[in-house]
Amino acid sequence: MSDDSSLILLALGPAGAAGLYWGLYRHYRNTDKSHAYERETLVEARPVTGSDEKIGEVKGTQETRIRGDNVRAYRKRVQRLRGDGEREP
Amino acid sequence: MSNANSRPPVPPPTGPGSPQDVPPLPGSLPLDPATLPEPIRDELLAPDPVAIDTSSAELKDGLNHCPKCGATDIRHKPGSDLLICVYCRNEWHGARIEEEFGLGEGIDQLEGDVIASGARDIAADAASVMTFKCTGCGAEVAVNTQNAMSARCHWCRHVFGINEQVANGAVPDAVLPFRIKKDDAVARIRQFVDKRQLFALKEFKEQFTPENVVGVYLPYMIVDGRASADVGGKGEIETARYTRGSGDKKKTYYDADVYRVRRHVDFTVDDLPLESSTERGNLDTKVNTNNIINTILPFDTKNAVKWNASYLSGFSSEKRDRDVEHLRPRLEDQLLSIARAQVEDSVHRYDRGVRWETESLDVHGTRWVSMYLPVWLYSYHQPGRNGGLLHYIAVNGRTGETMGSVPVQQWKLILAALTVGTFLEGIAIWIVASQS
Repeated sequence: MSDDSSLILLALGPAGAAGLYWGLYRHYRNTDKSHAYERETLVEARPVTGSDEKIGEVKGTQETRIRGDNVRAYRKRVQRLRGDGEREP
Repeated sequence: MSNANSRPPVPPPTGPGSPQDVPPLPGSLPLDPATLPEPIRDELLAPDPVAIDTSSAELKDGLNHCPKCGATDIRHKPGSDLLICVYCRNEWHGARIEEEFGLGEGIDQLEGDVIASGARDIAADAASVMTFKCTGCGAEVAVNTQNAMSARCHWCRHVFGINEQVANGAVPDAVLPFRIKKDDAVARIRQFVDKRQLFALKEFKEQFTPENVVGVYLPYMIVDGRASADVGGKGEIETARYTRGSGDKKKTYYDADVYRVRRHVDFTVDDLPLESSTERGNLDTKVNTNNIINTILPFDTKNAVKWNASYLSGFSSEKRDRDVEHLRPRLEDQLLSIARAQVEDSVHRYDRGVRWETESLDVHGTRWVSMYLPVWLYSYHQPGRNGGLLHYIAVNGRTGETMGSVPVQQWKLILAALTVGTFLEGIAIWIVASQS
């Protein structure tokens, strides 16, 4: 067995303890809960429009996802453009 | 923080007062219960209080005098949207604002801001304690609108409510009466806490008396809106996947095409509720548990009835202290989140994900209605630094949705975590030792 995999195996104890602590803490305190307005509000949207343009290629990366993937993190705000295209300071 | 006065409070990371994380799906657990010891598993898998769907009843007009006998001792009939005359037992409905003011229509044609009379700006000099002349005998009666909206004249026993709109923002456009009765709320709170016994704070368990639950009408702005949003970013599609090296050095590599992605969506939202009290709108989970009350949203606001103070007798209320302009950043934040959720389905082809980098929002029209919404609140104050923490358990007064914060006995939880951790570590060491 390689050193890498034994290290991963040995990390199981601390990882399990931390995971159990946080899982139970959230079950009791529910600090991660809030109104899921994205899902629970009546929203009527017209079909989404847009464009997709190939601008480059990535070769031989080891990352499994694009860096900074935020497609599901709806509430993480990114740079806000104002109506006239001006960037917010 | 050792000295609370040295620095102003740090604002929440993004979006005024809104939690940054999308809440997990209902019923999903942060842990896999199958892997846990039995007592913990039983607790996690115990059923949650059921949230029922409410439906509307046909409603008629309501007055503060009993339409049959003219008496003023009118109460809300528990478990219904009815008002009942305590004197002659006559029962009747309030008028639904949805039809009365046409609130369900024309959202797709909204232009500019439409602000209902009860959602107007609060006058800066308005006091919360107001005196009224009793219409029965002429005596002066004071009502503290901070927490009550009706009073009984101490001379002639005439009951009157504040029905005319006053400049301090205490009178909303509409009220959604309690439908969940107190017994029902108590049962739900009990069930919720029963599911969280093992690691609950000892003092909390000892002092647990759900019968002390209080019915409160909390102030909200209910917003309809029409908006457009644009988002832009980069997405990647995997084109190849291969491994290099051999044995322990084997690594997986990916090739991908990078695209510039832009999306535009026009949408309308119907009845988005926003807390219109500064205190309740602060959802910082480090200093309060207001996120609990936020979680039991939404309400069936379509069934709200025109304001009538009689619905509030026997309940307490909190006064609105935020105007439309204060809430606008919060609304825009939520509209952007909704837009981002709407465009998600259109970018599924990017199997390596999308990184949104810019977003813009154009709000074409909004409609604001202020409303009192019914919440059963149980609270427990946990002493501690900086005044401790007030834990709420809240039951939606219409749907019965229940959420709460149960204080944790830290040493018990840490001990359980360490025990499980040690057990797992023991297995890990055994495997490593036996293979090397």
